[in-house]
Amino acid sequence: MTVLQFTAGYVPSIAHEDLAWHTLTYGAGDTRLEVKVPLLTPAQILAVSQHIKSAVRTHIKTMAVSDIVRAIDVAILRLLDVNHEDRKRIDTLLPIATGMDANMLRHHFSEYLQTFRALQLHRFIAEDFSNPKMLDEFQPRITGGWTKAVGADLVTHIWAGNVPGLPLWSLISGLLVKAGTVGKVSSAEPICASIFAKVLADVEPRLADCLSIIWWPTEDVDISSYLFQQSDIVLAYGGNSALSAIQNQVPVTTRFLPHGHKLSFGMVSTSALSVVRAKRVASQAALDIARYEQQGCYSPQMFYVERGAQVSPQEFAQSLASELAALAHKYPRASLSLEEASHIASWRESHEFAMLQNSGIQVLGDKQDAFVVVYSDAPLSLNPSPLNRCVTVVAVDSLLDVMPLLKDQRPYLQTTGLATDPETLLQLGEALALAGVTRICAIGEMTSPAAGWHHDGRFSLADLVNMVDIETSTEEAANQLTHYEL
Amino acid sequence: MANNASVIEDEVMAFIQMKASDDAAFNAMALRLFKHQAQFNVPFQRFCQMRGKTPRTVTHWFDIPAVPINAFKDLDLTCTPTSQCGRVFMTSGTTRGDVKGRHYHPSLRVYDASVRLNFERQLMSQKSKIRIGILFPTVDMMPNSSLAHYLQLALAHFGTPNSQYFMEPSGLDIEALAQVLQQAEKNHEPIALLGASYSMVHAMDALIASGLNFKLPTMSWLFDTGGFKGQSREIEMDSFYTQLSNTFGVPRSQCFNMYGMTELSTQLYDAGNSSTPSVKRGPHWIRTRVIDPISGQDMPKGERGILVHTDLANYNSVTTLLTEDVGIATDDGFILLGRAQGAQAKGCSLAVEDFLQAARV
Repeated sequence: MTVLQFTAGYVPSIAHEDLAWHTLTYGAGDTRLEVKVPLLTPAQILAVSQHIKSAVRTHIKTMAVSDIVRAIDVAILRLLDVNHEDRKRIDTLLPIATGMDANMLRHHFSEYLQTFRALQLHRFIAEDFSNPKMLDEFQPRITGGWTKAVGADLVTHIWAGNVPGLPLWSLISGLLVKAGTVGKVSSAEPICASIFAKVLADVEPRLADCLSIIWWPTEDVDISSYLFQQSDIVLAYGGNSALSAIQNQVPVTTRFLPHGHKLSFGMVSTSALSVVRAKRVASQAALDIARYEQQGCYSPQMFYVERGAQVSPQEFAQSLASELAALAHKYPRASLSLEEASHIASWRESHEFAMLQNSGIQVLGDKQDAFVVVYSDAPLSLNPSPLNRCVTVVAVDSLLDVMPLLKDQRPYLQTTGLATDPETLLQLGEALALAGVTRICAIGEMTSPAAGWHHDGRFSLADLVNMVDIETSTEEAANQLTHYEL
Repeated sequence: MANNASVIEDEVMAFIQMKASDDAAFNAMALRLFKHQAQFNVPFQRFCQMRGKTPRTVTHWFDIPAVPINAFKDLDLTCTPTSQCGRVFMTSGTTRGDVKGRHYHPSLRVYDASVRLNFERQLMSQKSKIRIGILFPTVDMMPNSSLAHYLQLALAHFGTPNSQYFMEPSGLDIEALAQVLQQAEKNHEPIALLGASYSMVHAMDALIASGLNFKLPTMSWLFDTGGFKGQSREIEMDSFYTQLSNTFGVPRSQCFNMYGMTELSTQLYDAGNSSTPSVKRGPHWIRTRVIDPISGQDMPKGERGILVHTDLANYNSVTTLLTEDVGIATDDGFILLGRAQGAQAKGCSLAVEDFLQAARV
């Protein structure tokens, strides 16, 4: 048996030997992984917060946004180089930590990193700030007065481990607005954020003291509430019960930005259901399902397919099953815990029993297959699947009929993967927007949100700053107070 | 071919009345019942066809398709028409809203024999009768509860005449219980207290609140079953048995836990809970496998899996049940680790379990 070791976390202000370290273990079979994560005392939390706040003033807040973008770009470029030691470490460790297929991870991680190159980052900023220079200095407003976007001194990020590399989104967002960062990695994936922080510090020493990556056990509320008191913003990903526990510890004066449970789905219109097109859409849909094993908030759990085209919804379901079967060879499904396996088996079986009762339900594939496609001829409300490549395909007469089926899940809706013609695109977009969906994209792109997307309908960067206004009256009053006479 | 239900019933009776059975005899009886059930239990027949497992292809009881217990909620799994079934036991319906699983019994002859023989062997080795106190509703209060029936049977067969229930329609009669326990202490008369795990918790809490604890006479024992089901505070098993032992003055080795299900006709017991989790064992007419839920294959020894029971006393419904319980196989039984919780969502993707939780709020 091989046991790999990795030291996660990044705490530049405290010596390695002065920190307590907790070991997380991963993997089954021949290759195991032990990851050490730093555990801070309340006094160390205070020291780290103060150190970051003062470093932020001296360094990141004095840098131009363009300089920060350049630094991130260099760091990302290093991680895109599959021959670089830092990237190799990610490629070796992630499959063990997540149980996901190494090839799928490697391929998708590069695509993901591509989102954070300089060109995309500039666009990301422009998305939230009409004039990006307002992050650097006061900018004149068209209506009079001046405005500056001032990033928080300290943002605490609590990351989930469902999607590898997920921390980069909020971490980079924080850097772009010149905020200080304390990030708590998830026990499920403590690797990417730790490596990125070290690479960034290496390529731009001015940023080295502006962030820290740590860990603490969720039940240790002393640490979290202490840290939240030092923070201007707490940004957290996770299940709703975890978020609600966090929310209870966040002081009223600290901004809380939760990213909770979400539910995403696909819709396929008749225009995409010719023999040739349907196969292509099914193949893209299968990729959306297989990527990250549906653990992402944007991963599809159901597909609504329109009747009346050359390819019927049932045939589409079969085609999707074949694509998933093929993908299972290319990118094997992640290893399942007993609970996950049991959950999938009973989900599958409950649909098999529905099949026996002639309810228009059909279960595709064998029990042993590394996926489950359930087809329903009758309309079904949007419902979550047990994930790990389990999906329901529902036939509908018209995609507009889907909207009432979304009603119960309104607070959870996020992404819709949509295959339709230009004529109906905006009409369906309007209907989905009213239903509560916040992101619409092509099928095949569901797990790759565009740079500058509005995550859960919010502003990734603008939520992390305070807009500081100098009103016209101040300028007018100043003009009365010149040292020279007019 | 006519439904030879009474012939089958007689054969099963004879089988469970044997002292023991070997692999071949168990297999033969299991296949005999499989053939019967695949013929007369219509939904099960369709299930077998869907799985491609028919009496012609199945030659070992391992291969009998395991029916998930949830199926008892949607389907009438019975060989004898439901109208001719004298008794139906229903699940408490805790996991899926108000939908209750239904287990039909044409008669309770086999069921009762299974309970009696097994109870006697597992719990009554030292005495033929004992004073029994029951902390669970009577059959009149819960006519469709298999546990109420089981406890009534235990009281009728193994209880001395001064045995009694301590459950009123309004709840536990703690005063009567305290009085009886004090009396038993004074007269050095051993007593057995039987109840659902959560009713034992209620009893302990009430006795502790009244400042009472006991030192019950030697040979007294305690019996709990079914877990807490959200009906009382949840206690970790180890401290549950320590508290039981402290409250009643009965050693943990004399605190027995029964594992039973509405969908079965046979119970499994441990030999006391000196340490937890304990090993559960059943009589010769039930066998338990620990499987991988996706492949259906046995897990390697020592690894966690899902429990599948083949209960030959289930002659009218289906012998082989896929549970939602997690356990580890041992040489002569299994260690029960609890119910498989739905996959813990690792992040922000909404999974079924969380959805149910959200829906319950």
